Amino acid sequence: MYEGKTYSNKQINDDLLSSLTKSSLVYWAIVGTLGLIVLVATVAVAFMINKGLGVTGLNRPVMWGFFITNFVFWIGISHAGVMLSAILRLSKAEWRRPATRAAEVLTIFSLMTAVLMPLIHSGRPWRLVYWVMFPYDFQRGIWMDIRSPLVWDPAAVNTYLTSSILFVFVALIPDIAIIRDRSSGIKKIVYSVLSLGWRGTTRQWKFQAIAGILLSALILPVFVSVHSIVSWDFGMAIAVKSWHSTIFAPYFVIGAVHSGVSGVVSVMILMRWLFGWQNYVRHEHIDALGRLLLVIAIAWFYFLLMEFMFGIYGQEGDELATRHMQLLEPPWMWFFIVFIITAFLFPVPMWLFRRVRRNLWLMLITTISVNIGMWLERLLIIVPGLARKQVFTGTWYTYAPSIIEITIIGGTFAMVLMLFLLFAKIFPLIPLFDIKEGQVLQDKIKVGKAEIPAVIREE
Amino acid sequence: MTSYKDKIQISVAGEELSASIVTNDIANNFFAHRRSGRMALFLFGLIFLAGIVAFITKAMDGFDSSQRANWGYFAALFAFLLSAAGSAPLVAVGFRMTANHWRRPFARISEIYAVVGLLTIVCLMPLLALLPPIGDCSSGPCRKTLWFTSEYWGVPTFWDFAGLLALVVCGIALLLVSALPDIAQISALSESKSRPLLSKLTKFWTGTQSQWHIHRISLSLLGGFYFILLIGVQTIINVDYVMSLVPGWKDSILPAHQALTGIQAGVASVVIVAFIARTFGGYKKYFPMESFWSISKILLALSLLWAYFWFAEVNTLWYGRMPVEQNILKLVMFESYRLPFALNFSMNFLLPFFILLWNPIRKSVIGPTVASILIVVGSFFMMVRLYVPAFGIQDVTAFQITYVPAAIYPDFLDLIMIAGGISGAVFIYLLSTRIIPILSLWEVKEGLLYQRVRPFLRGEYQVLGKPK
Repeated sequence: MYEGKTYSNKQINDDLLSSLTKSSLVYWAIVGTLGLIVLVATVAVAFMINKGLGVTGLNRPVMWGFFITNFVFWIGISHAGVMLSAILRLSKAEWRRPATRAAEVLTIFSLMTAVLMPLIHSGRPWRLVYWVMFPYDFQRGIWMDIRSPLVWDPAAVNTYLTSSILFVFVALIPDIAIIRDRSSGIKKIVYSVLSLGWRGTTRQWKFQAIAGILLSALILPVFVSVHSIVSWDFGMAIAVKSWHSTIFAPYFVIGAVHSGVSGVVSVMILMRWLFGWQNYVRHEHIDALGRLLLVIAIAWFYFLLMEFMFGIYGQEGDELATRHMQLLEPPWMWFFIVFIITAFLFPVPMWLFRRVRRNLWLMLITTISVNIGMWLERLLIIVPGLARKQVFTGTWYTYAPSIIEITIIGGTFAMVLMLFLLFAKIFPLIPLFDIKEGQVLQDKIKVGKAEIPAVIREE
Repeated sequence: MTSYKDKIQISVAGEELSASIVTNDIANNFFAHRRSGRMALFLFGLIFLAGIVAFITKAMDGFDSSQRANWGYFAALFAFLLSAAGSAPLVAVGFRMTANHWRRPFARISEIYAVVGLLTIVCLMPLLALLPPIGDCSSGPCRKTLWFTSEYWGVPTFWDFAGLLALVVCGIALLLVSALPDIAQISALSESKSRPLLSKLTKFWTGTQSQWHIHRISLSLLGGFYFILLIGVQTIINVDYVMSLVPGWKDSILPAHQALTGIQAGVASVVIVAFIARTFGGYKKYFPMESFWSISKILLALSLLWAYFWFAEVNTLWYGRMPVEQNILKLVMFESYRLPFALNFSMNFLLPFFILLWNPIRKSVIGPTVASILIVVGSFFMMVRLYVPAFGIQDVTAFQITYVPAAIYPDFLDLIMIAGGISGAVFIYLLSTRIIPILSLWEVKEGLLYQRVRPFLRGEYQVLGKPK
């Protein structure tokens, strides 16, 4: 349903490129603050590397804590890009148009952040060189142990990152050409190189459309595989009973989509406010995303129920101890209560109402709430599972993060937001050509006395 | 607003339709009782009867939980009917919610499947008697159960039955509410003896704006409720009749996988009936290629999702190398029941995937139909490889299975029961189409209101209305 006004192509260019050409004080204040937080986090990383992992709260048996939780969280957020862009593009959902670019960009920056987390967690990131170039750490042979999910993981994440960058770039080419034509000097040269000689000929548009569809179809299996493989980092481990669950892969994927789409809604609302794009990011778009979120959240809740139900179904000692810790032992029980309220009980009933889905403040609050809950969900999977490993019954213990870990985690959130805002200074965050195409396809038909919005059917 | 003179058209090349043409056309088709239809009804009724006789003959040999192994194929038949027929109404529910125009010719076909639920209730009753007691772990042997303990009243049999009953009642209510405007209109056109009865039943429907408003809300509520009930019932049936009967089997994705297979089979069942209605039922003009094209994309996506769920299950169980998990994999997939598994895997994933991968095939009537037939048959074999081995385990209270039980093959009576059960479903479906038109009159006519064809140079293009 189209509720906006119709604009000329020039007006669309002017409006959507305003993020590149105009800078408000608020914008730079936010970027500066975020940069400062990133700087503090970088100092914390340097301090941790210098002193060793002893400055963190990690200790036996809980050797995975905030860093790995954050890794899973950011991988989850990255799922929004493909979910919105590829699936909605293939299904020709009209309301996708203003959301796709933001979703794709969020994918890239959250993936880049996610990749950093295991490196920081290792405490010795320079050893990456050994892992990649030399068989230094692997004593069982000259090659890495490819049977380990920990090796599948970087392969999947890097494939996803590469394909996502390609996906964004292909969609950006027509928009880069517009910026090229509006710039001069060194900027013109850079944008000319990036636009790959785009002139907007029929042949170029045809190739761009085919590339978009092909990449959409090809990236979907990668998108599903990434979070599945992340889940198998946990699920393959039979020593941690609460992780060894067949539902983990789809449960992680749907959870990722839940958190990722919520993340996109949050940034779209912020984007609308920061750049004044009221005519492009409209209530109808947030409403449609709200309805999508409703379906995703209910599906996710079913998987959550299954995961918990089968955790208890087995009646195995360490699994029951883990569930006991998650549900009944403070502080974890408080985390659990906050998690279930923020990720489901608070937002989902609200999304049932059209008024809420069309209220931007409420949508911002509910979607941020989902991501608070989803971060806690990952923490609740990781820490209690490790803290109640059967083979280490004698050392059952808990975990509390140090200030260093909290600072680094805070830094990653600041980094993603900062990179997102800086991207808006270089490229448009809403695809210009997509908005123009959407306008061309808009129509109206008369049914009785009423005039209703319509769309021209694409073959 | 354009100044063009709009043409109203359904997506069959060249043919203009109006509400009155559609009403007369569908009504005439509905009242024309073809000889082939009567023959089909008689034939399926006969096989259904043979199935009932086979059931009674087998039941005379004894009927308690110690003879569970004899009833594995009957349980598989029940699960298949529940999955395929029970999930079919979701086509109408789901795509009505997303306001897809292409769903219109499929909507009623899918809703009528709810009537088959009556047969699944009848099938569940004997199975309730075959379910072994949960036991009391504090005083003797017990088995693991979804309900955790036998202390609660009515677990598991009452709740299984109540869940299924609620599902069937909800499904039939959905069908009746959806078909109400059509029955009212058809009864007004009918000249048969049943007219006074139908007129009396539907006389309150006059098609006022408030009635349509209530109608729309009722369909949304019933649809949402049906979806939740379906997933819930599939979950408890799967755990009670499969997993909890095999000691040591803890597989959290299995209920979801059965539910997904059901949705896949449900969509496929709708496509098969749509093909028959289009090819032999005289409804060709109401099934545009776009409808088949769109639903074939859903079938392709469901096939991929089926493979993903299967891989998530196998990978986790296989990688762990735990003896009990290896035994279960050997039992239901790689040794004892490898033939049903091979058929299930090929028909639910491999063959539909390679058929539907190609756009020209997706954009045909025959391609999605062939894939659908394969999916429905494959789904039956999935239920065979899950329910038959589960019913074959004798010591359900053991800690875990330490061996791989041999396969149980169907005897003659099992085969007759399976043929009879499936024919029974077809028989009930055909009977229902004598009361309710197989095409949703109001939805097809509503679709006409939202479609326009406009000229562009020497060609034409289609515009689809997107109301709130």
